[in-house]
Amino acid sequence: MTIEIRNISKSYGGERILRDIDLKINSGELVALLGPSGSGKTTLLRVIAGIEQADEGSGPVLFDDVDVSNVDLGKRRIGFVFQHYALFKHMNVFENIAFGLRAKPRRERPSEAQIREKTQSLLDLIQLGNLSQRYPSQLSGGQRQRVALARALAVEPRVLLLDEPFGALDATVRRELRRWLRRLHDTIHVTTIFVTHDQEEALEVSDRVAVMNAGRIEQYAPPQEVYEKPASPFVFKFLGNYNLFHGRTRGDEPGEALVRPHDIAIARDPNAAGASARPGVVTHIGFGGAVVKIELETEDKTHVDVEVSAPTFRDLNLKRGDKVWFALRNAQEYVPDFVI
Amino acid sequence: MSRHHRVIPGLPLTLGYTLFYLSALVLLPLAALALKAGQMSGPELYRVLTDPVVTASLRLTFAASTIAALVNAVFGLIVAWTLVRYDFPFRRLFDAIIDFPFALPTAVAGLTFANLFLKDGWLGGVGGHITAGINALAHTLGLGAPLPADALDFLTFPYTGQTGGIVVVLIFVGLPFVVRTVQPVLLEWDPEFETAARSLGADSATIFRRVIFPEILPAWVSGVALAFARAVGEYGSVIFIAANIPGRSQIAPLQIVTRLDDFQYAQAAAIGVALLTISLLVLLVINGLESFSRRHERQA
Amino acid sequence: MAGAPLASTSATLNRRAANGNPRVRALLIALTIGFLSIFILAPLVNVFAQAFAKGLDGYLAVFWPPSPPEGATLGVIQQRKLAEAAVQSERTWSAIRLTLAVAAVVVPLNIVFGLAAAWATTKFRFRGRALLVSLIDLPFSVSPVVAGLVFVLLLGRNGVFGDWATHLSWPDPFSLRWVGFDAGFPLDFERDFTGVIFTPLAIVMASIFVTFPFVARSLTPLMESQGTDEELAALSLGASGWRTFWKITAPNVKWALLYGVILCTARAFGEFGAVSVVSGHIDVNDTMPLRIEKLWNEYNNQAAFTVASVLTLLAVFTLVAKTAIEWKTARDHATAEGKQ
Ligand SMILES: Nc1ncnc2c1ncn2[C@@H]1O[C@H](COP(=O)(O)OP(=O)(O)OP(=O)(O)O)[C@@H](O)[C@H]1O
Ligand SMILES: [Mg+2]
Repeated sequence: MTIEIRNISKSYGGERILRDIDLKINSGELVALLGPSGSGKTTLLRVIAGIEQADEGSGPVLFDDVDVSNVDLGKRRIGFVFQHYALFKHMNVFENIAFGLRAKPRRERPSEAQIREKTQSLLDLIQLGNLSQRYPSQLSGGQRQRVALARALAVEPRVLLLDEPFGALDATVRRELRRWLRRLHDTIHVTTIFVTHDQEEALEVSDRVAVMNAGRIEQYAPPQEVYEKPASPFVFKFLGNYNLFHGRTRGDEPGEALVRPHDIAIARDPNAAGASARPGVVTHIGFGGAVVKIELETEDKTHVDVEVSAPTFRDLNLKRGDKVWFALRNAQEYVPDFVI
Repeated sequence: MSRHHRVIPGLPLTLGYTLFYLSALVLLPLAALALKAGQMSGPELYRVLTDPVVTASLRLTFAASTIAALVNAVFGLIVAWTLVRYDFPFRRLFDAIIDFPFALPTAVAGLTFANLFLKDGWLGGVGGHITAGINALAHTLGLGAPLPADALDFLTFPYTGQTGGIVVVLIFVGLPFVVRTVQPVLLEWDPEFETAARSLGADSATIFRRVIFPEILPAWVSGVALAFARAVGEYGSVIFIAANIPGRSQIAPLQIVTRLDDFQYAQAAAIGVALLTISLLVLLVINGLESFSRRHERQA
Repeated sequence: MAGAPLASTSATLNRRAANGNPRVRALLIALTIGFLSIFILAPLVNVFAQAFAKGLDGYLAVFWPPSPPEGATLGVIQQRKLAEAAVQSERTWSAIRLTLAVAAVVVPLNIVFGLAAAWATTKFRFRGRALLVSLIDLPFSVSPVVAGLVFVLLLGRNGVFGDWATHLSWPDPFSLRWVGFDAGFPLDFERDFTGVIFTPLAIVMASIFVTFPFVARSLTPLMESQGTDEELAALSLGASGWRTFWKITAPNVKWALLYGVILCTARAFGEFGAVSVVSGHIDVNDTMPLRIEKLWNEYNNQAAFTVASVLTLLAVFTLVAKTAIEWKTARDHATAEGKQ
């Protein structure tokens, strides 16, 4: 199912949290809402779900081109997974998952046998078949997360909305679960939006990323495009480490350029580094496995972070205090006619 | 949540019912009180409230409530502190019975205290009991009766018809308020702070005065205020133990009852308004304290 | 009664850290035990000591007066005594019946009110909410005598609605009798009450006034802290409002509800001041606390304490239940936290 929202605004007590947001999501797509804390991700997700109502004068929320702005939360057929799961504490895993099926009006309600069968298949899907009698308090964070997902999936939602699904988990479990989510999505193909403030997560899992900042969507594009062609300095900065170079435009206006550490070439010989190479002195070397982080200091005492692959570093054979030359391979300039 | 659509259902129903019930059974009757008192002219109201019997009852209510609140301030703090910080036999039992005054009907409290402080009651007759015990012991040792029967009568609690008995029951009804407001703060108190202070060379008294006491002060004051407010309104237990002589040992709530029995509705209403005003003022003070300490907390 | 928090009172951590002066510590413990013994234990034990002052027979005789021995001829004085004892015990029974009947009306009404008030004030934000919460607590700061007074001023002979209320006629529920089918409907009330003040109806009203906040108050903090996520999750799965309430909210607050109900019941049984004012000192309007006062005024010390001992047992039960509930919630909390 496609989701489209147009011109959505949302204020709390006069403060505008969402500003004129437009977003269109194709059927079966997995979209990440990425942004710093407080940028309005949760609010946007809740407006789409129908938990919050957009301000007066906002445009519609369309599910398959049908306006659902005035459809109740329970009738929108969405699966919502809360940041802290909101599992029903007093029900075991099985009953949690079966809740949505049991809550259906009598006419639509499946028989008890069907409920059991369906719940069991979901338990298998989340690989928790053997824990069905446990209570939420007896599960690990990752297990709770999967139960919350299964509970949402039980009612066969048209849309899956996940609020920081892996936010409360430690790094290893996160990585494991997000791959699992991707695989799951590839099997069930339900239109999915998930909120995250972890750029790695967003880039790795999603089909498209919507980068939010202060209630606006700054860029909405596939991960590679977002990473390689950030639409604004904010997006660039938010997506990874960067070096900031101050300089002047041709019109003598102050301006800045942003460069990723791995987009800086480094060599002992000025000609090998590339055009307009500049000198620097190595002040620190950090070994990080496959990538080595080198800190340089330029003549005007600014610091430059450079990342090179381990083999390259071996070939360079650098020590602290060595003089090197570096050149920018791929600088993003957000002011026209920028020169360093 | 905007006006036209709420996700969680039931607001109109529950809010409507709440407001209806509250208005019909609490606000409307209270409005009747205000109305009746308001029907009196200013001088009339003044006359009622300055009637010597009324002023005496208000004075007694205040004096007794204040003394009881002060006693509770000291002992409530000691009890809360001891229950939280020390281990001793039956600590859990003593902790549980703190709430007994909440649970016990006031009439029963008045009844049993009145009986305890009778001249031959367990506490009222404590001097006599001790004298009798010593004499009996001496008698079995063949020493006759060394003490005159009234030797320890100075221990006898001054109770009948006097403020003493009233204060005792007011201490009883107010005690849990102080203990139960101070206790949670002491429980939440992180002993790390104390260890830190101790490592800086502070002694126990200094730590209590400078570190712990400021922390529990707001809770302590609101607990004492609650105990005071409760004591001002208390009726059931007091009338059992006091002699209830008009002008001397009649508390203000009893004045209301007396006026009602004489069909002096307006006068009763006037005294009622006076009592209610005091309670609300105390409530206001407590609310102020709470919001103050909340703000304080947020800053920290 | 306002300040009774449902808080656990165990603090092993603090107690372990307590290492002050042993003499101060011994003094404080002695003061605490002494103070609590005199002010709480002594009155408690005294109730039972006085109630059993004439032994078990004397205790039971308050409820079941001795019947004259079979075939014995009794003197006039003895006959008088027996008749008097029978009258007295019948009054005591009448007080017990009325107390139970009043509580049976008051407690369910307050449960419904408490649930509604807690739902409205914790699950929603609206203007005036803080004021409403304070108003719900208001009866706690009103003297019981004033609580009775306001009803006299509202519905008494010279009251605001006095004309209407003193002519109001309503059936005595205890007088419901089977009258056969001759008159149409087979059940009829044999007696009517006229007026409100000085009848059991006023006792019910005054009792509601003083017990009004208990249920709402014990529910509010818990429902506030639980937030709305679980309810929203249930609604998003298609559950109706009622189902959400019964299956999600109610199980989550059941212990707090029970606690509130116990406090409310205890107070409804034990209320003295408010009930005393509206009862008009009429024997048939006596509840158990009023009955205690009458027995005491008649110098029937042992009987007064016997009735008091029943209420005291109820108070002890209240404390035991409170402690048990606290223990239970603390344990639930610990298991919920345990594997977070
Ligand atoms: N119910 C509310 N009332 C008032 N302000 C709110 C409310 N909910 C959210 N806000 C404000 O709206 C802004 C955006 O909140 P939102 O929860 O959408 O952020 P978020 O991007 O999800 O952040 P996070 O990553 O921390 O979850 C915040 O500044 C927050 O303070
Ligand atoms: Mg969020």
